[in-house]
Amino acid sequence: MNKKLVSSVLASVVAIGALTGCVGSNKESSPTDAKDAQTGTEAQTTDAKAGDKTEIVIWTYFETPGQKQMLADLMAGFNSSQESIQVSDQYVPFADFKKQLSVGLTGGELPDLVIMDNPDMASYVSMGLFGDITDLIATWDFKDQYFEGPWSSTMLEGKNYGIPFATNCIALYYNKDMFEAAGITNTPTTWEEFKETAEKLTGNGVNGFGFSGVNTEEGTFQFLPWLDGAGAAFNKIDGEEGIRALTFLQDMAKSGALAKECINWNQQDVCKQFMAGKLAMMENGPWQIPTLKAEAPNLNYGVVLLPKDKKYSSCLGGENIGVVEGENKEAAVEFLKYVAQPEIMKESMLAYGSFPPRQDVANDPVWTDDPIQATFIEQLQYAIPRGPDPQWPSYSIALSTALQEVLTEGKTPETAAKDAQAKIDAIK
Amino acid sequence: MKSSRIFSKEALLAYCFVLPALLYMFVFIGYPLIYNLLLSFQEVNVMTFTKPVKEFVGFQNYIELFSKPGAIMPKIIMNTVVFTIGSIAVQFVVGFALALLFKNKFTGSSLIRGVIIIAWLIPVTVTGLLYKFIFAVNGGIINELLLAWGVIREPIQWLLEPITSMIAVITANIWIGIPFNMILILTGLTTVPETVYESASIDGANTVQKLFLITVPMIKPALMSVLTLGFIYTFKVFDLVWVMTKGGPVFATELLSTYSYRMSFDEFNFSQGAAVANILFVVLFIVGIFYTRIIQEDEVM
Repeated sequence: MNKKLVSSVLASVVAIGALTGCVGSNKESSPTDAKDAQTGTEAQTTDAKAGDKTEIVIWTYFETPGQKQMLADLMAGFNSSQESIQVSDQYVPFADFKKQLSVGLTGGELPDLVIMDNPDMASYVSMGLFGDITDLIATWDFKDQYFEGPWSSTMLEGKNYGIPFATNCIALYYNKDMFEAAGITNTPTTWEEFKETAEKLTGNGVNGFGFSGVNTEEGTFQFLPWLDGAGAAFNKIDGEEGIRALTFLQDMAKSGALAKECINWNQQDVCKQFMAGKLAMMENGPWQIPTLKAEAPNLNYGVVLLPKDKKYSSCLGGENIGVVEGENKEAAVEFLKYVAQPEIMKESMLAYGSFPPRQDVANDPVWTDDPIQATFIEQLQYAIPRGPDPQWPSYSIALSTALQEVLTEGKTPETAAKDAQAKIDAIK
Repeated sequence: MKSSRIFSKEALLAYCFVLPALLYMFVFIGYPLIYNLLLSFQEVNVMTFTKPVKEFVGFQNYIELFSKPGAIMPKIIMNTVVFTIGSIAVQFVVGFALALLFKNKFTGSSLIRGVIIIAWLIPVTVTGLLYKFIFAVNGGIINELLLAWGVIREPIQWLLEPITSMIAVITANIWIGIPFNMILILTGLTTVPETVYESASIDGANTVQKLFLITVPMIKPALMSVLTLGFIYTFKVFDLVWVMTKGGPVFATELLSTYSYRMSFDEFNFSQGAAVANILFVVLFIVGIFYTRIIQEDEVM
């Protein structure tokens, strides 16, 4: 009994200690918070007197050293280019990104700018994360220089919520040495040629082809070119065309020409397999080029268009930079204006391993003279956007699930397509 | 009189001591629970998120979970049950066996015991990654060993087939749970006085009889709490499965916890995500009540 009493008293003391600790620290921090807020408003009203600046924060999931350096240079350049705004960034891991934003929306902490995967933009616009900046960018005279697909992904119902930050698409990488060893001289251009080539290259622990078939947005991203190439669409998969695409990939997986393990690979994993010489061909984006250069400098590879069925196709990737609704909207748009300048855009996209979303910048010889980069630019013409639709994530899950079902041979292409269509039709 | 006792000085003091804990529980446990419950009865998703007043839809979200096209809820409940029962059964038996082993002090016993506990101390994410490598089709140690011993001719596609991927995640979870079971059961074993075994030996009881007629009945409360705690921990496992398979292939290892997360943060269907979480909560709540009963009985003893 005594022991119990002592222990409960101890427990209470600990609990109270923790509580008072909380209160104490709150007291300490609240005056400074208030001060911060005050200086913030002051900066806005008096327009940067004696180092008082509007502070804006960007959230990104950039994690490779190259991406981080690119962003750091971009921010340093902006901060020294003017006096009234100070921009800084905060890293949020990709896996937590959507969660953090959703939590922020329900009353938590939110940034002023978000750099995010373009198909997610519409969902967040619809959930009220981003603010309407149509009027703030009305005077921009270079808006029509932006590629249509990326630009439309920053809009919803005719209003602008941000601008494209980077744009890219996926094409077919191939290992030249493996092609030579197998006596293949021509790169495949049609699905039939592609299948034949992949089968020839398969064996001895090597799979002819690999892509990301994971049950997330990445899987959908890599699957869409096949669906679109056959003539199907993201919201119409149960027709003859959709079934044809699913059947083609299932046959490839059955023969081992497509690595079956791809259902657990994200695009980074696919690239690792390609670098390790376990894949002769892979579907991937230009953002892998810096990685390939750094980690596999001796790899002899080339890039060609993804093979066509009814037509050439690819999927449009890249990030948008969206302006979060709030009092710092104008300052945030200033940063967008800086990012959109041709010279700045060129530098940052070179460092990032992606393409400028502006036509005039993309015409720079840096891209057009490099055969690999030029292939990606050519592929970009055929790239289809994802959405924009606030319900995109639901379409995406239906599609990547169907892909996994056929790759694991859990369902026939017909059933998988029918089931996916039922889910798609149920999206209101 | 009872009422006077409640308001006696001593009792008031006691309530003061309890108050901070109560407040803490209400703010950090009660509020989220209630919020989640309300969320599951409203329609909150990407299309209704900005509406100032969210529509109250009753049990609609729960019904839809089971009735929408391609509904996988029954499968997910089944998965969760299989995962939990499979994990606990093996964890418990192996943990019990190890506890019996380590009850006998032998050279190096405390060292080995310490090493075994490492499995429980490693961050689960790391364990998940480790097991992802262990079960890799090409170059994974399990396939390499089985191939070398001639048990199999072709590598098993562990994380690519529905059944084998479930076996793989259960195996990883068992590995984490064994030390937990072992330690708790070992603690229970030390409460059985040696004299009981001595007199049993004199009466001619053999080892098996001693185990099932003396050890098990005497540490039954400890065993029951190990099982219920194990159930609670296993039923809500998230990180391990998320790291190893993300619930795949094609939802073969999708559990209530991963499905709830996917609903909320991939599809932005917050209400249905909350509904899944509540189903998970109700199951754990019932088991939790059962657990506190056992603890009370234990204390009475």
